[in-house]
Amino acid sequence: MTENGVSLSVLGVTKKFGDFTAVEELSFDVRAGRVFGFLGPNGAGKTTTIRMIVGITAPDEGSIELFGEPISPKVQDRIGYLPEERGLYKKMKVVEQLRYFAALKGVPRADADKRIDRWLDRMKLSEWKSKKTTDLSKGMQQKVQFISTVLHDPDLLILDEPFSGLDPVNVEFMIEVLDEFKQANKTVIFSTHLMETAERLCHDIILINKSRKVLGGSLREVKESYGHDRVALRIVGGREVLDDSTVVSHITEHADQIDVDLAEGADAQHLLTKLIAAGAVVSNFEKVEPSLNDIFIEQVGGGVENA
Amino acid sequence: MRKFTAVLFHEYKKIVLKWTFLLGTLLFPLMGLAFAIVPAFIFSIKGEATRLVVVDPTNKILPRLKGNMSPERIAERQKQAVDEALRGVPSGQGEQMSQTARQMGSVFAFVDMEFGNKPVEAVRSELNAKAAAGEIDAYLIVPENIGANDAKYEFRTRKAGDFIGNEVLKDALNEAVRAQRMADANIDAAAVRDISRNVTIETKALSDKGEEKDSDMLFIASLVIGMMIYISLAIYGQVIMGTVVEEKETRIAEILFSSARPFELMLGKLVGVGLAGLTQLGIWVGSLLALSIFLSRQADLGPFLQSVPDITPLMVVYFLVYFLIGYFTFAAIFALIGSAVTTVQEGSQFAFPPMILMLTGLYFSFAVIRDPNSAMSFWVSTSPFFAPLTMPVRILAEMPPFWQIALSVGVNVLAIAGLVWVASRVYRVGMLMYGKRATVPEIWKWIRKV
Repeated sequence: MTENGVSLSVLGVTKKFGDFTAVEELSFDVRAGRVFGFLGPNGAGKTTTIRMIVGITAPDEGSIELFGEPISPKVQDRIGYLPEERGLYKKMKVVEQLRYFAALKGVPRADADKRIDRWLDRMKLSEWKSKKTTDLSKGMQQKVQFISTVLHDPDLLILDEPFSGLDPVNVEFMIEVLDEFKQANKTVIFSTHLMETAERLCHDIILINKSRKVLGGSLREVKESYGHDRVALRIVGGREVLDDSTVVSHITEHADQIDVDLAEGADAQHLLTKLIAAGAVVSNFEKVEPSLNDIFIEQVGGGVENA
Repeated sequence: MRKFTAVLFHEYKKIVLKWTFLLGTLLFPLMGLAFAIVPAFIFSIKGEATRLVVVDPTNKILPRLKGNMSPERIAERQKQAVDEALRGVPSGQGEQMSQTARQMGSVFAFVDMEFGNKPVEAVRSELNAKAAAGEIDAYLIVPENIGANDAKYEFRTRKAGDFIGNEVLKDALNEAVRAQRMADANIDAAAVRDISRNVTIETKALSDKGEEKDSDMLFIASLVIGMMIYISLAIYGQVIMGTVVEEKETRIAEILFSSARPFELMLGKLVGVGLAGLTQLGIWVGSLLALSIFLSRQADLGPFLQSVPDITPLMVVYFLVYFLIGYFTFAAIFALIGSAVTTVQEGSQFAFPPMILMLTGLYFSFAVIRDPNSAMSFWVSTSPFFAPLTMPVRILAEMPPFWQIALSVGVNVLAIAGLVWVASRVYRVGMLMYGKRATVPEIWKWIRKV
């Protein structure tokens, strides 16, 4: 099922629209059976990259391989793609749309009908089976779209901003379904700018900004590379130590704790010694990993919307 | 191929399994029938007989008038008018109306009254009073000098709008006066009628092999075929545009493009919608055939049907080929427009260039009927865009040499290949462009770019 353990490999891909470079020399691998977060601010080139992966557009330079093969209709059948901009045929019955999308992915009719019933039942949409799209609420439409993405039991699921517009209950539900895919050793790629969701779901991430890759790797690796120099602190007294710029580079005050970023070359042990020497009562001293959100903001900077 | 058929069936079912398709299919011939039958039916509703008083001091006109307006004479005249209507196309609106009137006939009841030697004024006021009281509907005062040039026949009626009745009276009166004039001049009316009979011109078309064939109904048959192709092309072109715009508007295009090649998608769409169009056309042609067979058994329309041009199976095959040529030509154009615009409304604004091309073709086909062998007929029936509307008419009027048909089909198939290629290029880029309508230079760039 998974060739060389790699589901997707993007190699030196560049895509230009006229003078505008949407994606520049982007390379990454997605390992089979992993949940891969594709992160970046709006306009970073996420959707363009995803469109190249699913074969809607072709890269100007570089290559993309899926399951060890270049993109082809056969490979496309193994992908489930949920675009960011979604829609359904307005005047068509739910079941007929799903049948069509299944047929396009090469699912035989009898199988398709069984799967449609099972998924509609799971999504609690059975009674809407013969209703037209226009009769459905927006949330229901999103569920139907999601069903159309997974009907053909794809090995690779690519979801572009899957949680946008979903209510919290449905977000939880979707996460549950993604978990099942993970259990079944299928690969999931999703793009998002919601760092908390990414942090919760992803094994691996890539962060791109202004058409280029900024960082990538497993979530743990990424966090570790950023996590050595922050301490969450709860103290009484000894505040003057925090003003010492040889030890502390930056502090962020919260209601009941202070996040302290250590200065270059300083270490946490040194800070703790200094605090105690200054007579501080330390009730909490914890080395913390930065949140993905912090990393995102640090890397992408101020020009971020909705992050 | 598998995906192509999936798209094809999807598009076909989407159209054919909708109640609007059934309604449209049934409604179109019904509407045609209604336009033909309803006015005639309404005209044929005869009111009550018009009570007519004829004041004829000479007593020369009244007996003749009564004779001319007897039910037998009216029926005879009706039959004659129907014959004329079938034979030729009436020249103008007015001519057509009086012909219809003659076909209908109308009923008059003569009311006899004695006036003695009362002066005309007294008679008139007496009749006016009777009319006002509702005892009579109309009166006709015949002058003393019946045959003179300045003779004035006064017809006063409360049913002035009954153009059918008035026409019948006018005809009968004219005939009566004419007969009287002849009698006065000692001319034998029967001999005159015999002498002034119209000649019968038997018009037949000569084929290139020198064979004769009837041409009476050629114009009408060509018109029907031309209109049928034109309407189907217009309807199904717009259908194509609608489905393309819907998939763009709803972003379904993105899912489609991640599942199949744009060319496959586009071709599946064109063929699926085209088959739906053929289904509808087939139902129409089939029912037209059934209707004409039914009518030919039912009524005495033998002479009428004989004048319908012979349609051979080969011609039907050619018509089908040209319908498909027209369909693919215009469907590709409409698909291109659909993928460049953002909404259906915007699309209909940009639908006018192909519509004008189609209309021009239809107008050319009228010229082709009149002269199927001219150089102009050859060129328009060979050129792309116009051939689908002009060649079937040309074939109907006179079968062109086979090489000309082959040339025309070849040129058009090439044109279609080019158009579909261009359209699928615009389609694959345009379908993913949201938010704004593409400009012509942009579309040009998409076509040139790989």
